[in-house]
Amino acid sequence: MTTRRIREPSELQIGRRQVLTGMAAAGVTASTGLGSAFAQSTRTGVVRVWGEPGPYGGVAVAAMNEWAQKNAPGLKFEIESIPWDGVYVKLMTDLAARRPPSLISVESPIAMQLMAEGLLTPVDDLVEKIGRNRLVDGVKWEYWGAWKGQQFIIPAHHQPHLLLVRMDIAKELGLSDPDTWDWNDLLNAAKTISQKKPDMAGFCMALGRNLCTDYHFSALLHSAGGKMFDAANKFEVAFDSPQTVEALTFVKELQAYMPKGAVEYSFLQVVDAHVTGRTAMSFYWGRTLGRAAEEAKPIFEATEAFNHARHPTTKRRSNWNDFQGWCIPAQNNPFVDEVKQALIYQQTSKDWLIKYCHSLMPNVAPTYRDVADAPELRDHAFYKSKPRTVDTYFKTSLAHSSSTANELLQGVNPLAGIVHGRSVLAQTVQKVVIDNMKPQDAAKWGAKELSDIRRENMRLLG
Amino acid sequence: MRAGFTLSDRAVGLLFIAPFLAAAIFFMVYPVVEAIRMAFYSYNPLRPDLSTFVGLRNFEFIFADPLFWDSFWQATVWTLLSIVFQTVFGVAIALLLHQALPGIALFRGLLLFPYIVPTVVIALIWRWIFNPEIGVVNYALQSASLIKEPIYWLSTPSMAMASTILLNVWKYTPFVVICVLARLQTVPLELYDAAKVDGAGVVRRFLDVTLPQLKEVLIVVIVFRTIWTFNKFEEIYLLTKGGPGTSTFNLAVYSFEQSIANLRLGVGAATGVVMMVMLSIGSIIYLRVSGFGQDEKSP
Repeated sequence: MTTRRIREPSELQIGRRQVLTGMAAAGVTASTGLGSAFAQSTRTGVVRVWGEPGPYGGVAVAAMNEWAQKNAPGLKFEIESIPWDGVYVKLMTDLAARRPPSLISVESPIAMQLMAEGLLTPVDDLVEKIGRNRLVDGVKWEYWGAWKGQQFIIPAHHQPHLLLVRMDIAKELGLSDPDTWDWNDLLNAAKTISQKKPDMAGFCMALGRNLCTDYHFSALLHSAGGKMFDAANKFEVAFDSPQTVEALTFVKELQAYMPKGAVEYSFLQVVDAHVTGRTAMSFYWGRTLGRAAEEAKPIFEATEAFNHARHPTTKRRSNWNDFQGWCIPAQNNPFVDEVKQALIYQQTSKDWLIKYCHSLMPNVAPTYRDVADAPELRDHAFYKSKPRTVDTYFKTSLAHSSSTANELLQGVNPLAGIVHGRSVLAQTVQKVVIDNMKPQDAAKWGAKELSDIRRENMRLLG
Repeated sequence: MRAGFTLSDRAVGLLFIAPFLAAAIFFMVYPVVEAIRMAFYSYNPLRPDLSTFVGLRNFEFIFADPLFWDSFWQATVWTLLSIVFQTVFGVAIALLLHQALPGIALFRGLLLFPYIVPTVVIALIWRWIFNPEIGVVNYALQSASLIKEPIYWLSTPSMAMASTILLNVWKYTPFVVICVLARLQTVPLELYDAAKVDGAGVVRRFLDVTLPQLKEVLIVVIVFRTIWTFNKFEEIYLLTKGGPGTSTFNLAVYSFEQSIANLRLGVGAATGVVMMVMLSIGSIIYLRVSGFGQDEKSP
């Protein structure tokens, strides 16, 4: 059985190493007033941490283990990677089985569902210690997860999917600057590439019955000005709309220039299509560039990222931003105090946060200004070779942020996680691209599913 | 002196059977009873505190859900075709392996390979094999000039269903082969000799001697394979996740989706109860119609 004793700050004896490490993050810690004062814990055991696939979860846990070595030597933080499409199922089964991890890195829709269900520990105390005024311009704490005046999620990173374009192909075919495109230009570019490059699809996005399709489609839906629920009207369903029909119609038009297998594509397959040169353009997060740099250098060198094409009338360029955050399960979690301490340590260390971002450039964008503006962050090969693309992911994309958890940034939506659990958006898309259902009918079908979700979960809306 | 402690034969029998009985109650009876109980409750796994008795509402929900009926029909197609192919191939391969040829034992051993390999491994391998762009199946077919355009094995509803059936047949045909081969090796050779004397050819001997001798084992194999295939979850989920769309949903996948993705554990349990009833009724009818066990009862 583990023993527990949290020492008061006044009891702390800060060693030389601790001071030196603290100095590394001096700029941040000084501003937050935190210093290097961490409570000591004599508890022992493994602290389970869930993260999505990728090295950054491991970097964050390495930072937490550094905290543990100094303040809780009997504890070891261990990362467990959960595949994206398995996140919802894994979370729900483990929470239902009452054996959650002690810390979860998860995307905002699911985080907000857990938060509204009352399954998470409030973290307002951490916000103050981490630094309430540190967030990069254009974001708010609530984007990661706040509910009824309480903060439940600590930012891990922000992470938009953008339009990736093979500029060598665009140049060869005389296409205009993708940064100036609207939907019609994107469609025409996809068509031109498909016609003139026989072995290459013009465009690729996920169309499978999965989370990636949900995320890709919602960017188009929001660009068109549509949404699933109306946050301003008690989350009444707003999906059966001309905007939804327009977005579905656009997907159907684009499908003609996508790989035929796209109807089963999820995250990995879209990356594969781009990195293996089977598509000239795709919707994706920064991970594609990381993969391309490792496996297909010429494709990496030729690919640039742009904010999404504008909707012709709304002029919106909405992306999907994960707003990935750290949340602490409230029930059956034996290490709440220790996790909070470790999170503060990681979040206030500029060095560790830069390592976190560098671990998979430009997939995970910094959330704090001192990190985003740090010269050390730019000290990376990707930043040097593709400064515009990295800045688009890290900074300029924020002006176009959206997600189902906060549609058009009009209000936190606790129902979005359930929508993704049921793959409602992806199924709606598949009704059009596989079953050849009329977009109007598919929108009605989706709206009915969303109505069911709202009716069954009214309790979450408070 | 105190007499030795002795048990009656009946008590010894009960003692021996007790561990198995306890295991059966704990691992089989209890889950079934719990599933039946849960089928009458609204149960969100994240909020067990909100669990409420809803009577037959979960059953009303599934019977009114078009996806349930789609899943039922797809499960029926998937099960029937899988069983037909497994039985035909299983008997054919067993007859081949029944020949006394040098090295035949090696082939019999190799045949077990698909049955031994974990389903997760097989499903992942098959996903690569079926990959339309880089899969070995399309590559082979294109190399042999049998197809010009790649086949999208898992991307179109009909091909996805065919692919899941193909996987199931490939994996479980060895089970049929083992059972049939074991029976074949016990068929008295005198029966074949007598048939030959009567002038029966190869086909006649198969129809009049081999098949009747295999009847009992085939009945059992088909019942078990039908139950297992109808309930199968992991192969479909790992290979297609029920897609594209919901074209390869069976009732097990439907139950899982309702329970975990939709957080309607009561609906998932109700689906399980309906599956149990369907299979029980189907099995009883099949065994009655096939006349299983009637030979032993005959005087």
